[in-house]
Parts: sequence; structure tokens; C-alpha cells
Amino acid sequence: MGFWGMGGGMARKVLVLVGLLVAGCASTAQVSLGEVREFADASARLGGYAELSRRYRDTYVREMPYLSPQAERVARETDASRRAVFDDFVAIQKTLVLYMQTLSSLAGDGRYDLSGRIDDLGSGLKAMTDSGLKQRHVAAYTGMTRLLTRVIASRYQNRSVDAIVRDGNEDVQTLIDAMILLTRIYEKANENEQKTVLGIFNAEIPMANRNADRMLVTLAKVHLQNKTAEYKLIDRRYKLAQQGLTKVALGHQKMRENMDKLSSEETRRMLAGYVHDLNLIRDALSGE
Amino acid sequence: MATSSHSNPDRASDEANTTPPSNTPRQQAASSLPNQPSTPDATVTTAAAGTPPVAQQAGATGFDVAGTTRANALSNMQYVVDLADSVVCIADDLHERILLEIASYNGRTMPDAQKALMRTLTDDELLLRQYAHALYANAATFVVYDLGEPQHRLMALTAEAAEKIRRIGIIGEAAGLVGGILLLAGSIARGQFSQVGAALEKIQVHNAALKTLKPGLPPKA
Repeated sequence: MGFWGMGGGMARKVLVLVGLLVAGCASTAQVSLGEVREFADASARLGGYAELSRRYRDTYVREMPYLSPQAERVARETDASRRAVFDDFVAIQKTLVLYMQTLSSLAGDGRYDLSGRIDDLGSGLKAMTDSGLKQRHVAAYTGMTRLLTRVIASRYQNRSVDAIVRDGNEDVQTLIDAMILLTRIYEKANENEQKTVLGIFNAEIPMANRNADRMLVTLAKVHLQNKTAEYKLIDRRYKLAQQGLTKVALGHQKMRENMDKLSSEETRRMLAGYVHDLNLIRDALSGE
Repeated sequence: MATSSHSNPDRASDEANTTPPSNTPRQQAASSLPNQPSTPDATVTTAAAGTPPVAQQAGATGFDVAGTTRANALSNMQYVVDLADSVVCIADDLHERILLEIASYNGRTMPDAQKALMRTLTDDELLLRQYAHALYANAATFVVYDLGEPQHRLMALTAEAAEKIRRIGIIGEAAGLVGGILLLAGSIARGQFSQVGAALEKIQVHNAALKTLKPGLPPKA
């Protein structure tokens, strides 16, 4: 997707942007962007969403042993529709990670070589038309991939932190919004799954009170105990993932609002606070 | 962002209270996010919360007028999520009712026929949960259903049915009602709208029959 392929409106927008970029370069030349880089790095490393997306995709596999034939038929159809959109759900997150890595490179030592990653962006959202993402989510995804392609393909020349944050903020907010909406649905599906799996044991165990059932009941109780523990652990992760995404969105928004005073003590302290929170959430997510 | 515990009016009369109120952190997360689409949802939900419970309204009018306004204001995705939540709600109430019945035997051996009935109802519960799963998947993939009225009536009727299931005297009576709900939830989850009318009729016939039964506790322990 090249510059010359763009419509007149887009080309104008880019020209305006270039103007902003030049101005942006001048203003941040001597500014320390350590906190920006750390925020971008912490955001890129957050985790949670991808794992929960996979867990959602694999709901059927976990539930299958517990289902009646009739329920299983319904479950298989749902499984197919979950799998059909999985790549799109993950593509959103990959784009956001790439954005944060790009931002980190601009703010720091350019340690990521991101040129190889542009190819990933070209494909767009596969199931766009019947995807769960609203139009504005899809538009944000497209806008973000365009921005990243431009920035990375130019090898960051004439690009600055100011410009990418200013130009990217709206799409960042929209993409994170989509990820939070999806994480909430994952969470609901997980609750429903939990009730499916644990519910059977809660009904069957008290009904099995013959002597011949004793061993079976013991095994069932052990299984129930393990499953209960497993769900208890996973439950926390939905909240953590949502909190983390919210922090990333807020931090980026604050950065956008304070673009003209990034080097001020106050702004740097604020960004450092988000980095601290994000690292705590990440530790909690990887602590299990 | 509206959640099940706010938008499902039947929870208002819930004495068992097994569903944890999981909405608070989410709402905090949502409201602190800039550019969140949740503001209209939240406003409308608050407004709808002031209306009488659907369970009572539906009995009188058969249709929830306040719900119509709310539905138009909510995104389709949120509406499908609400619908799924209400199917989960019925499954929860059915589950509670089954456990109550089993507990009433208090260690005595349950007759085989009764066990078979419990298992049939458990299977129904699982099937309901699969329909809820299908709706969640639809919400995530935003397949837009043009259901209009049946969606509202489902919401009203499910709220009423969930309450009935909890209060039913003889658990065998629940089977017919659950059958109707299964047909309805299944038709909607699978987009088989031609069956929705028949399913609604079936539920209403059972609801009418159940009205003549006195709500009470399960058989003595």
C-alpha cells in the first residue's frame, strides 16, 4: 500500500502530517523519551489477550467430554464460528503490539528491526464482513496498518514520537476498545463453560449414593476439585487482561494530551506510573 | 456497558443469588476508557432499570414496551449478549431447581425414574448453555439478526419462565416449559426464525398451565 496509491484526500492528509512531523522533530530533539519507550515496551509485552483468545477458540475441546450428543451438535457449530474469526481477533492485537514496538523504536535506540513485519500487515482482516468488529474497529485497524507501513517503510526518517502518537491515538483507542469488548465476551463464555462442566458433577455426585458408586464418586470429587481450582485461576485473568488494556489506552491518551510537555517532570512521572501498573499486571498474568 | 445483572429484570426477584455481580470492575474499566461506546448503553440501562420487572409486565401485556426503546438504543452486539445472558439465567435457575430436588432426598436413594428425569433436565440445561454459547459467538462475530419482536418477547418470557422454574411445585412440570424454551432459544441461536412462533406458543401454553399450579417447595425430605 504505497503513498502514490492513496486518494487525493489521503495524500493531502499525509502532506499535513509531514508538516507536523518536521515540527515534531524540532520540538522533541533534546527531550528524554525514556518513559515513553518504557511505556511502549510495557504495553507491547502486556499479554493476556492472546492467551484468552486462544482459550475462547478452544472452548469446544474442553467441553466436549461433558456434553450430551444433542448439546454436542450445537457446540460443534459454535466451534466453527469461533474458529472462523479467531485470526481476526488476534490480528488486532498483533497490530497494536507492532505499533507499540514502533513507538518504542522511535523513542529509543531503534533496537527492533520491524521491516520484516510490514508484510504481516498487508492482509487485512479476513472475515471483515461478518466479523464481530464494528465498522469503526475495522477502519481503525486499516488506519493503523497504513500508519505503521508508512513509518516502518521509511525507516523512521522524518518520523517522531509526537507524530505517531498524535496520528495513532484514535486508532489505538478504538482497537483497544474492540479488544476489551471481546475479552468481556470471552469472560462470559468462560463462565458458561464453567457452569457446564462443574454443574454436571454437582448434580450427579449426590445422586450416586449406592455402595457400588463409592470409587466413582471419589474420583468425581477429585476431578471436581481440580476443575474448580482451574477455573478459579482463569477467572482472574479476564479481569487482569481488561485492566491492562484499560491502562494502555489511558496511558496512550494521556501521552497524546501532554504531547507538548513530554519532558516535564509531571508527564514523565505519570507515564512511569502507567509503566509500573502495567508491569504489575503483567507479573500477575504470568505468575500462575 | 450493560451487563446481565442490570439488564435481566428477573434477577430483581432472585433470592438464591448465585450469580456473582461481576459487572463492577468491567464498568469501571469501560467508563474510565476514552472513546468508549458504552456511555449510551449505560444511560439507557439506567433508565430501563426504573421500569417494573418484565416478569410482571409480560404477564399483563405480553410485551415489554420499555424494552423496545432500550433495544433500539443498544448496539446489536450488546443486545445479542443480553439475550445470551438471559438464556444463561434460565439454565442457572433450572440448575438450582434440579439441585434443590436432589437435595430434598437428603441422602435417601432417589427412585430410578426420578433420577432419569433429573438427567433429562440436566441435559436440557446443558443444551441451553450451548445455545447461550452460540449467541455469545454471534455477538462476537456480530452477525446482525433482524429479530425485532421475538427478541423482546424472548426476554420477557424467559424472565417469567426462569421465575416459574424456581417456584414450580412438582419438578416434572418443568420439563414441558423447558422444552418450549429450548426450542425458542435454539431457533434464535441458529437463525431458524420460522420456528420462533411455534416455540413462543408452546411456552405460553405451558406458562398458562403452570399458573394454575401453586408454587411451593419440592416434595418433603
